[in-house]
Amino acid sequence: MHRGLRFYFCIYRKILAQDLKSKMSYRADFIISTIGMICTNISGFLSFWILFQNFPSVGGWSYYEMLFLYGFSLVAMTPVQCLLDNNWSLRYQVFSGDFVKYCFRPMNLFFYYQSEVFDVKGLGQMVFGIGTLIYAWVHLELACTAWMVLKLVVYLVSASLVMAALQNAAAASCFWIENSFYLLDLVMRFKDYAKYPMTIFNPVFRFVFTFVLPIAFIAYYPSLVILRPEAVPLLSWLSPLIAILLFYLSYKIWMKGAAGYSGTGS
Amino acid sequence: MSYIIEIKHITKEFKVLNRHEGLKGSLKDLFSRDYRIVRAVDDISMNIAQGEIVGYLGPNGAGKSTTIKMMTGILQPSSGEIVVNGQIPYKNRTRNAKEIGVVFGQRSQLWWSLPLVESFKLLRDIYEVPEAEYRAMLDLYRSLVDIESLLHKPVRQMSLGQRTLSDILAAFLHNPKIVFLDEPTIGLDVSMKAKIRTLIHALNREKQTTVILTTHDMGDVDALCRRIVIIDKGKMLYDNDIEHLKRFFGSYRTLKIRMDGDLQQSAEAIAQQMPEFRVSADTDWISVLVDEEQASVMAVLARLQERYRIRDMQLEEISTEAVIKKIYEEGTQ
Repeated sequence: MHRGLRFYFCIYRKILAQDLKSKMSYRADFIISTIGMICTNISGFLSFWILFQNFPSVGGWSYYEMLFLYGFSLVAMTPVQCLLDNNWSLRYQVFSGDFVKYCFRPMNLFFYYQSEVFDVKGLGQMVFGIGTLIYAWVHLELACTAWMVLKLVVYLVSASLVMAALQNAAAASCFWIENSFYLLDLVMRFKDYAKYPMTIFNPVFRFVFTFVLPIAFIAYYPSLVILRPEAVPLLSWLSPLIAILLFYLSYKIWMKGAAGYSGTGS
Repeated sequence: MSYIIEIKHITKEFKVLNRHEGLKGSLKDLFSRDYRIVRAVDDISMNIAQGEIVGYLGPNGAGKSTTIKMMTGILQPSSGEIVVNGQIPYKNRTRNAKEIGVVFGQRSQLWWSLPLVESFKLLRDIYEVPEAEYRAMLDLYRSLVDIESLLHKPVRQMSLGQRTLSDILAAFLHNPKIVFLDEPTIGLDVSMKAKIRTLIHALNREKQTTVILTTHDMGDVDALCRRIVIIDKGKMLYDNDIEHLKRFFGSYRTLKIRMDGDLQQSAEAIAQQMPEFRVSADTDWISVLVDEEQASVMAVLARLQERYRIRDMQLEEISTEAVIKKIYEEGTQ
């Protein structure tokens, strides 16, 4: 049955409100996970800073340019972290047969499944990322025009879509493979390389990160449009289209897996 | 007469890898293309009318879940036709979902961290239940069970019984035409079982909801089902009224008597006197299995009383459980 966006938006809002309410009621849990998130981000930033204490530039990228890339990837990852976090437990649910419960609701299965979990910690990461972005933006003396902001938003969205696509596809592999955790873990580990300019990798890895495991589209190609507007490769301009295509494909893979799912014994 | 569920000669086959034993075998399996076909459901046909409660029985692995999955649209039959509510469930999974409710005994479908009432509200929005109908349904629930204590409790804090109860209420909330209950009383205590049976019965009566119930608990069957369907090894063994089931095996009742003296000897004497009935004895009772088509229990009792001093007596109906057990073990032949 086709249901409008309005319907899904409305349902999501209600689930989210309830979910947040119940999360807040576990105060200690909420505080500890927030502290954990802050520590993770600080340590990530710290190792970044130490790196630049020793090297003035990486692959021809200055400290602030790298910082921009770093902030960009943090912000781009937020929607995946917040909205699609339930992908991580897909494997367990499919394996145990609990996934079957999602199959009986008259709405989009992908939506219903993902709507069940909203990871608040992602928001903190976003605040951190935006802070880093602004800091780098100011120091790089980038113009603050509407055109630049629009470019930033469009390319952030496409970066998020690529990220989401990778995660969806990796998670959906559990519909066919029993030990899919390694695949999901692998993709999530490689995503860390998204924070670095592709110029530091050798051509083989550059090829892999562009065409096989397209993490280069998470931060590198989109950032080029903003940081190096004078020499933007075609792939950068195309990255919004590529992002939409990748996301659509990953969604189709996910749904195909779910449609073929028939649960465990009883 | 039109039926809400029409099943015509459905069959479901699965391809299963022939597994080998041991580590070496596992390695072999990795590259093996050695499949065999397992027929989980084999040529089953049935029609179910609106408002019926059908007990769907069979030993473990009989193919019950597979049939239910085909009715709910999760599995596609290998062959045959299945129409639920005028639609082919597999092709219209989401549309079919709007008209059915499903409860799996141990798997809650409610939002784990939300209080029950919030789950209800979400379901109301998802199924687009009009506000008036939603309120009427809640009122009906209030009149049937004590839900006030449950409404504000998060599902994860509930006991298994409370959760099952909540799941059943949630499944009926959008007033579906059919509700599938898969072992709804599994793992519950006696009083909770009774509560749940009463609830299912009342909801079926009030809303004319068709209920398909799979269970291993004959108490559920006796309390709820007028019609039962039994399958084993994918094949249909029986589809008829529950009363018919008992007659099907002859109208037997067991007369148990207690008397003075050596029961074993007396039993032998009675067996000689009434060779048409099976007589046995244990330490307390002599049992006579009376076929009521040949003689009434009262007549047998009168004949026994002429010769023995009977101190006590009991009359046992043959239980559904015993009949079902017999069917599982011997089939209907």
